[in-house]
Amino acid sequence: MFLLASVFIPIIIALVLFATGTKDKALASWGGTGAALASFALLLASSIFSGILSYGKRISLEEYGWWPLGRAGFVLDGLTLPFALTISLLSLAVSVYSLRYMEHRFEEMGVNSWGLYYGLLLFYYAGMLGAVLSTNIIEFYIFFEVMLIPSYLLIAEYGYGDRQRIALMYFIWTHVGALVMLAGLLYVALSSGSFHYSDLLSLVAGMSPTAQFFAALAITLGFLVKMAAFGLHVWLPYAHAEAPTPVSALLSPAMIGIGGFGIIRYVEELLPRGFSPIAFWLALWATITMIYAGIVALAQDDIKRLLAYSSISQMGYMMMGISSNTAMGIAGSVYLYISHGLSKAILFMIAGILIMQFHGLRSIPAFGGLAKRMPLTATLALLGFLGIMGVPPTVGFISEFLVFLGAYTSALSGGIVGGLVLAGVALIATLLTWAYALTTVKRLFFGRYKEVHGEAHDPGATVLLPMFALAFVSLLLGVYPFLIDRFLEWLGMGL
Amino acid sequence: MIVSTTGLAWIPWAVWSLPVIGGLLAPILAKMGDRIRDWGSVTFALISALLATSMLSWALSGQTVHDQVGWFMGLKAGVLADPLAVLVSNVVAWVSFFIMVYSVGYMHGDPGIVRYWFFMNFFIGNMQLIVLSDNLFQLFFGWEGVGLCSYALIGHWYTDEEDKWVGSPDHYVWGLPQAYSPSHAGMKAFIMTRAGDVAMLAGIFLIFVYARTLTFTDLSSNITWARAMHSSGLLLPAFLLLLGGAIGKSAQFPLHEWLPDAMAGPTSVSALIHAATMVKAGVFLIARLAPIAAALSLLFPELEVFFLTVAAIGGFTAFLAASQALVSVELKKVLAYSTVSQIGYMFLALGASGLWALGGGITGAMFHLLSHAMFKAGLFLVAGFIIHAVESRFMTDMGGLRKHMPQSFLMFLILALSLAGLPPLSGFWSKDLIISVSLGPGGVLGLILMFSGVITALLTAAYSLRMVGLTFLGKPSRNVEHLEEEHVLREAPLTIRVPYWALALGTIAVGLAGPLMENSIAAFTEGYIHFLGVGANILEVSPSWLPLTSSLSAVIIGLLVAYPFYASFSRTTLPFSRGISGALQRFLWNRWFVNALYYKIFVIPWPTIIRLTDKYVEKMVFDNINTVMYLAATGISRMGISFDTRGVDGVVNAVPEGGSSSSNVVRKANTGSARTYIYSIVIGLLSLVVLVTAIYLWVI
Repeated sequence: MFLLASVFIPIIIALVLFATGTKDKALASWGGTGAALASFALLLASSIFSGILSYGKRISLEEYGWWPLGRAGFVLDGLTLPFALTISLLSLAVSVYSLRYMEHRFEEMGVNSWGLYYGLLLFYYAGMLGAVLSTNIIEFYIFFEVMLIPSYLLIAEYGYGDRQRIALMYFIWTHVGALVMLAGLLYVALSSGSFHYSDLLSLVAGMSPTAQFFAALAITLGFLVKMAAFGLHVWLPYAHAEAPTPVSALLSPAMIGIGGFGIIRYVEELLPRGFSPIAFWLALWATITMIYAGIVALAQDDIKRLLAYSSISQMGYMMMGISSNTAMGIAGSVYLYISHGLSKAILFMIAGILIMQFHGLRSIPAFGGLAKRMPLTATLALLGFLGIMGVPPTVGFISEFLVFLGAYTSALSGGIVGGLVLAGVALIATLLTWAYALTTVKRLFFGRYKEVHGEAHDPGATVLLPMFALAFVSLLLGVYPFLIDRFLEWLGMGL
Repeated sequence: MIVSTTGLAWIPWAVWSLPVIGGLLAPILAKMGDRIRDWGSVTFALISALLATSMLSWALSGQTVHDQVGWFMGLKAGVLADPLAVLVSNVVAWVSFFIMVYSVGYMHGDPGIVRYWFFMNFFIGNMQLIVLSDNLFQLFFGWEGVGLCSYALIGHWYTDEEDKWVGSPDHYVWGLPQAYSPSHAGMKAFIMTRAGDVAMLAGIFLIFVYARTLTFTDLSSNITWARAMHSSGLLLPAFLLLLGGAIGKSAQFPLHEWLPDAMAGPTSVSALIHAATMVKAGVFLIARLAPIAAALSLLFPELEVFFLTVAAIGGFTAFLAASQALVSVELKKVLAYSTVSQIGYMFLALGASGLWALGGGITGAMFHLLSHAMFKAGLFLVAGFIIHAVESRFMTDMGGLRKHMPQSFLMFLILALSLAGLPPLSGFWSKDLIISVSLGPGGVLGLILMFSGVITALLTAAYSLRMVGLTFLGKPSRNVEHLEEEHVLREAPLTIRVPYWALALGTIAVGLAGPLMENSIAAFTEGYIHFLGVGANILEVSPSWLPLTSSLSAVIIGLLVAYPFYASFSRTTLPFSRGISGALQRFLWNRWFVNALYYKIFVIPWPTIIRLTDKYVEKMVFDNINTVMYLAATGISRMGISFDTRGVDGVVNAVPEGGSSSSNVVRKANTGSARTYIYSIVIGLLSLVVLVTAIYLWVI
């Protein structure tokens, strides 16, 4: 019941908020934050009581009959645990952060729709959580689309700039991607005769390698749209830049990485024979994504667009780890989801602070010397960027280390010279990440303070507290990365 | 002998974690008053240093404490307090402690003082973590940690006021400015050392893939991994890649250009970076790897290339940097070039250790690490006081300061002569040992390596004396005359003076006990090699008259040549002379053009690359794909409207841009169509589920 409740409590509260259409800020925000908190607590309880937190081979499974599609439900195992907890933690942080931010945004827009906003946010959260926890591929697809619709509406309603158009492009791209993925999944399901994930795990053996390959290809491509891999990324910078900032802080860190989750779960685990021919090309694609997005990030003057390209580049790292097809590389990707989630959420919240303080100003060259006026904000920004750069003791280091360790392991054990070259090039390309991170810190926070924008100061506790909480988790998991062990135990591979 | 008494194992853990904790507590201590904040931070460094000293007894009795705890992924975290670690740990701890005491006075009233204490203690803790780690992975934590601290502390004065910059404002090479702001210098240090770390990471990965462990004791006790790497031709590359990290951190050629500009930080930070933390990390790493690599090189001779590279880089860098120190006009920059050069000596010794004198080479490097730590920290501390007193970083604004601050002058002179290598100061013994070790059994290679050490010794003596002369002797500069009129020049206060007194006395004491000290460090080294080396049996070098006489005469010639120019003659400015000597001077002044070349290659092209990529790939290709998709999605009729209202340019530019407003017509059209679209999607979704269910039931 824990998992069911953790997904459906947000949905029920969201429906209540929609139905009442409340304009009451306190009611909506308490309801929204409370539901996110309850959901997080339930997830945590489920992972503690099932013992996954101490031993990765345990799972927490809740399933129900779902006629005529077999069974459906929710599972918390070594793979879904890190994703679910990250999504839940980020959503909780974002709903607290939204209190102040959306007040600012509603004032700016001259509207008051607290109920609608928090309702959509909860729906979005439930979609992501349900997608990760689902045990049935149709259930997965439904949740996968459920996370799309509220996020579309959040961008279209509360975003910036040409928001409707951008929201639509976001919708079309990711929806088409989802359909391609669905085609692959349905092909697997229909040729194996089940929609249930764990049934499929044994049934796919009956599929021919060629069939597996084509299914794997379709599913991977579909998920790569979500991850905004090079060439499929155009929607992302616009969506992330123009979404209301708390939503950016979920879109980028929490949502796009679910594409990576999808590849791990529905391709690498489900169709290993279909994946191996793809692996090398995925590594190549990953390297290109990493480098290209890093370069374009350097060209950005808009802080939110810069963060968006940085996310694309980070997804390149995630793809790299996945493509290694080794225990450590995949563990690195899973950890990268956590580290990127925590760090990028902090950074988008930093962008939000700037937007709140400087009346929507997002242009990096307009800032300078902010560290003197906003020391806590500057500290958090540095922590966030250190996470992206992979500097210990942030969790970013562990994930980057494992991703590349995986890449080197697979290249060396397979004797693939091309893989070794790619791993080397990608490792050098981390310098690009360093370059855009450090220059951005310098441009925003160092140098002379530019007086033209009036008084700047650190924001209040409801804004800073969620950010410090995320930074704390990032450091904690960086020093003691125990979740890695749970994941490796789940994979059944020690070192 | 490994001591497994767990009762003692907490000490090395505490040595590195106490300063880290002290750093984290800095914001809390700051709430309890200024004195508690300052002296509290110093106390953490002191306790750590006292605990480090307590480890000396283990090393002296040839014991090693090795303690491990489970970490993750089967990796273990651990401390390894063997003689090498204990020796370096003590140098780091005590030199840092004196710098911390000095900071209390030096940084008094700085608005960023809490941040300063945080990063100083964090710096010390991370360096101790490097030194005491028992495995490469944990070492890398400290390794990046010191990088982070250097970034933050070099850029401590991040508001980039002009007087905090480094370099001469009117100095341009190929049109590129050679003066940098603190925040730029911090970034430069962080990224440049990271370039080395990238190589180091690759080396770690290679070794880990084959060895499945990164613990030093495991790597040396079972060398199956090395056999496997040797047969796939990766053994030498892996060691060379690890060397990359050491080159970056220790500012050796070709990654040496960050250190001179790191002078933008507070002087106490420079002292810490140069004497105790950061640049010594690379030397330590090679000393850690040397016994393993030397033992392996007996089986796999290709590893001699590794040692040869270390020696060649060291010898060349020593000369390169010393030559630049000769013409520098900034006091701190002389010291910076000098550090690069002196670290080069240590590399030279470590290279020689694997080539022909394992014990002697490591002993020489460690002895020089110790004596350099003392005299360089001391020199920086005096320099910091002088720069503060004359309100300028340029030696052209100094001169004749001797009569105003006689104690500082005396200490500076002693420390500089130790740097120059004049007997019986500590610098003489350690440098002499390195030069004799580098000769080895003779031969062309030995002679070349020794010669690089000897010529550097000459240059070192010259620039040391020049530095003393321009600062304290000769005629006062106009700036000093002006300050004399205002009667503001006086001797340093106690908290500032005591630390450099202590370091100068240390360099004398170690110098007087020179041969004795050498023997005890040699005993440390022996215990260490015995512990990690796989029974390596490498020829030691017997003393010979050639190195000693040539190095000593080099020092004397250097001093004699420099004396008339800089010490006894009066001088006002440093004009470029004409002709060949002027060209040479310019060449050195422009840092052999290496710095400018790096900017030309690695910095200048980037704005163009990113602008072109953004314009021609991202904007022109991908944004237009987006537009086409959009137009297709909103239907032909909408496309018509778009064409009508905005024209063909409108389509090309119909890229949504942040904050820019677009045509209302298009927006209205979108809103309507988007809503419709969403509803159709939802309906489509539902029908899809029905359809799938139907197909499924039909298939079954």
